[in-house]
Amino acid sequence: MPDHPSYDVVVIGGGHAGAEAARVAARGGRRVALVTMQREAIGRMSCNPAIGGLAKGHLVKEIDALGGLMAEATDAAGIQFKVLNRSKGPAVQGPRAQCDRDLYAAAVQRLLAAEPLVAVIESIVSRVDFSAGAVTGVALADGSRIEARAVIVTTGTFLRALMHSGETKTVGGRFGEASAEGLSDSLRVAGLSLGRLKTGTPPRILATSVEYSRMEVAPGDAVPRPFSILTDRIELRQVSCWTTYTGAEAHDVIRRNLHRSPMFSGQIKATGPRYCPSIEDKVVRFADKERHLVFVEPEGLEHPWLYLNGVSTSLPPDVQDAVVRSMPGFENAEIARYGYAVEYDFVNPQQLEPSLQARGVEGLFLAGQINGTSGYEEAAAQGLLAGINALQFLRGAEPLVLGRERAYAGVMIDDLVTLGTEEPYRMFTSRAEYRLLLGCDSVYERLTMLARSLGIVDDERLRRVEARLERTAAARLQLEESELTPDRETLAWLEPLGLSITGPTTISRLVARPEFEIDSFFSHCASSGRFSGVAAAFDGLSSEEKEGVVNHARYAGYIEKQEREARSVRDDETLRIPAEFRFERPGLSAEVVEKLRRVQPASLGQAARIPGVTPAAVAVLRMSLRYEQRSANGPGRGAANLP
Amino acid sequence: MSGGPGNDTIVAPATAPGRSAIAVVRIDGADAVSIVEALAKREFEPRRATHTVLGDGDASIDDAVVVVYRAPSSYTGNDLVEISLHGSAYLVGQLLGAVRRRGARLADPGEFTERAVLNGKLDLVQAESIVDLVDARTGLQARLSLRNLTGELSRAGESMRASLLDMISRLEAALDFADEGYEFIGHDEAETALETLLKEVRGTAATWARGHAIQTGLTAVILGLPNAGKSTLLNFLCGTERAIVTPLPGTTRDLLRETVDLGGLPVTFVDTAGLRETGDAIEEIGVGRARDAAAGADLILYLIDATRGMTDDDRMEIARLRDPIVIFTKGDLAPGGEDAISVLSGSGLERLLGRLDEEVRARFAMAEEAPTVVNERQRAAFEACAEALEAALASVGGGAGEEIIVVDLRRAANALGSLTGAISTDDVLREIFGRFCIGK
Repeated sequence: MPDHPSYDVVVIGGGHAGAEAARVAARGGRRVALVTMQREAIGRMSCNPAIGGLAKGHLVKEIDALGGLMAEATDAAGIQFKVLNRSKGPAVQGPRAQCDRDLYAAAVQRLLAAEPLVAVIESIVSRVDFSAGAVTGVALADGSRIEARAVIVTTGTFLRALMHSGETKTVGGRFGEASAEGLSDSLRVAGLSLGRLKTGTPPRILATSVEYSRMEVAPGDAVPRPFSILTDRIELRQVSCWTTYTGAEAHDVIRRNLHRSPMFSGQIKATGPRYCPSIEDKVVRFADKERHLVFVEPEGLEHPWLYLNGVSTSLPPDVQDAVVRSMPGFENAEIARYGYAVEYDFVNPQQLEPSLQARGVEGLFLAGQINGTSGYEEAAAQGLLAGINALQFLRGAEPLVLGRERAYAGVMIDDLVTLGTEEPYRMFTSRAEYRLLLGCDSVYERLTMLARSLGIVDDERLRRVEARLERTAAARLQLEESELTPDRETLAWLEPLGLSITGPTTISRLVARPEFEIDSFFSHCASSGRFSGVAAAFDGLSSEEKEGVVNHARYAGYIEKQEREARSVRDDETLRIPAEFRFERPGLSAEVVEKLRRVQPASLGQAARIPGVTPAAVAVLRMSLRYEQRSANGPGRGAANLP
Repeated sequence: MSGGPGNDTIVAPATAPGRSAIAVVRIDGADAVSIVEALAKREFEPRRATHTVLGDGDASIDDAVVVVYRAPSSYTGNDLVEISLHGSAYLVGQLLGAVRRRGARLADPGEFTERAVLNGKLDLVQAESIVDLVDARTGLQARLSLRNLTGELSRAGESMRASLLDMISRLEAALDFADEGYEFIGHDEAETALETLLKEVRGTAATWARGHAIQTGLTAVILGLPNAGKSTLLNFLCGTERAIVTPLPGTTRDLLRETVDLGGLPVTFVDTAGLRETGDAIEEIGVGRARDAAAGADLILYLIDATRGMTDDDRMEIARLRDPIVIFTKGDLAPGGEDAISVLSGSGLERLLGRLDEEVRARFAMAEEAPTVVNERQRAAFEACAEALEAALASVGGGAGEEIIVVDLRRAANALGSLTGAISTDDVLREIFGRFCIGK
């Protein structure tokens, strides 16, 4: 086979991670070959037809702020938008969109097709080639080679993939698709050790076989809110979802047939996701729960199937039939595709640097499910960062490592490379210790200018971001500068709003009160003609922007506290551990040394987060690093004169 | 051989400069043993005090006792040599010079202890206790510092931190799995748990009053009208003729201080000018100083001449004072003065000392078994934790969301983390090692 022209970057896999990696590398001016088994599978949603959710929605917004494509594709394919966790504080609410799965894949393919520097090659990568600790390119199944200095592996569940449905085993990473068999060996050659993980998917139901009147309707938000700053409004027709449940009958069937589930029979040895358990898992672990909620989600506007969110299973087909038909509304349901579990190879991410480059192999980046994560959003965010860092590597520039106080994506990658993972990793807001600094409404402030300095933000996005930041800053300023004094007239004016003040109070302060209600405040302003400046500044804002400004005022005091905390530990993040630093030292136990050597932390802050690295060990590391810095600067600078 | 960072050879006198019976010089690091062997022209068995002559080339320095400790069984964890020689500044200087010429450098302040921490011999709080221990002036000071040296306060802080982290994880679960219908922590449960914890943290922070008193001692000011016997009492308490005593009112003009051990605490008694209106400019300044001293005192002893009894002036003065201990003096001269003391006859003195001892214990003692905060850095950590817990409690009370409560709980946990050095910090190191002097 003739070899291919050489590229700067090869992306292996066209899933959510691969698509982001390919686009951002191309946006950075590099020639990208995206190698995928099937061109039309690019951007395919393997599992649930939805993007976003708690913490995951944050990732999607961050991707948008960094110039990624997931938010754009979601807006083009979303058929039901809903902000989750509305009963909780704004920082922990998560936007989510039900998508038409065909439209979603089409949108991703369209966005990639618009990038002249991305070439899609339909093939299987059989080998990654290395020379002297650096990537030189890849070999394809037909024997041809692609030369490239950077290779991004985003193979999802396809490495040595095995599907289980009851006792039946089929080789493949997704229904009807193949498995990548050779690549695992290449990763081993690169010095990486691999483990096995498992994930699962629920049965799909023929939509015409279901009795909707027997289920609860679960509508979306009245006004769908787009994910991307590039989207003005959602154009697609919006639809409803439904809810039903599994009850005693289903649970009995499952219990009786547990021995036929590959998870319980021992046929699958890999670890599954604790946070997205199979229905058989739930029945066993929550034995006293009489019902488990099931979300019934359309797979698309015209799609003939429904997705049963909450009934992921690898039980044999006859058991799935019985379980499904026991649910209200599904008495006569026909399963269009049975649920199955997939077992696949993954790379313990502790073997990666915070740039997502494999430690010790220049130019080899890994992103997505291969790193032990679960979920489209987690994969996409890693793909984007891996793509950015491949760019930085080719430019000879410092990698982009987002701090934990900067982005959920930064939290996730730090968690992965520091803690590793033994089960599929899912994003949660609780993983972010500086959660209030990481609201959905601050993504553009936090990330877009950073991305711009790397040359990966398109002009239109930048223009919109700048305009948005200007608008919201003006509104914030108005809130902070408009003051009320407790004279009789003002008190009387406040009374119908259920508000009162005892001293001079800015509107910003007023907003922070739990009893403050923004809409009635502004209609009161309009009818009385007061604070027209504030009202005018708010008039130009979208509902999302308004909420952002209000949330900022509400959290202001706490945001300040978190910023102080973040600053106080930043020293530790900037205290670098040199590559030649020896962890074997008398002050550290063998157990701690082993953990440090496995992760090779880049900074003291990262070292401190490794489980099992004790406070005393951190103190020894800190002092050793300072001591050696001092010694390097010559003796005579006492401990008392620390920097 | 020569050591890398943390094991290069350092030397310093471990005893205070000046004349003394013996002086101790410490050498630590890779070449410590070979240097002392070169000076003694012989080898040493580890951990055996060996009498030898040390010399520098042909010139002898001193008769000395040498103890060699081999790594890792030494204070620092390195090879360590302790040399006891005669306590002359000249001889110590000769020895330091000879050791330094053989490649050692003068140690930085706290560097021996720093090495002990680096080698895992001590944790930070223990290192800190070493300074406290060396600074100890009474038995109680020493006992407390020793207890922290065994990690008592660190353990207490860690256990409070663990219960905080547990609560944080339950609040977080309530956010992550809001829709799944499980209750992870109820409002009342959170409130009660926080209140209990706050009490515990505050209690520990409050041991500072005692810890501080133990470290720095108390000030007891002796007040009274002229000629009430203040200077006589001071002289009795300190066992010397510290103050000039005359029958003339107004003899004492300035403040006189003497420190004695009372109830395990160093108590500094301050003799003052008698309180009266006076035309004498110098005496007037003295009276002003007496009143200022009383304002800043931990204890006030108010003396009344029993032969005169309590006067209106006494009543007026007493009314202005905070919790004074009123003592009648000159019991030997006053008829029926059995409650009064007399330094001259010795009557009532035993009882007075007992009473003062009790007062000190009552006012500054807490259960001696409780972990005690003995320095400013530890106090600041517990105070910061208490402040954050209060904020969290206010949020809980105000019905704030979990994500807000957690902000303050994390701050509280971090404050406790700073105690053991788990969190943040060059500042911690600076504060701890900044208190050391050379040779420790």
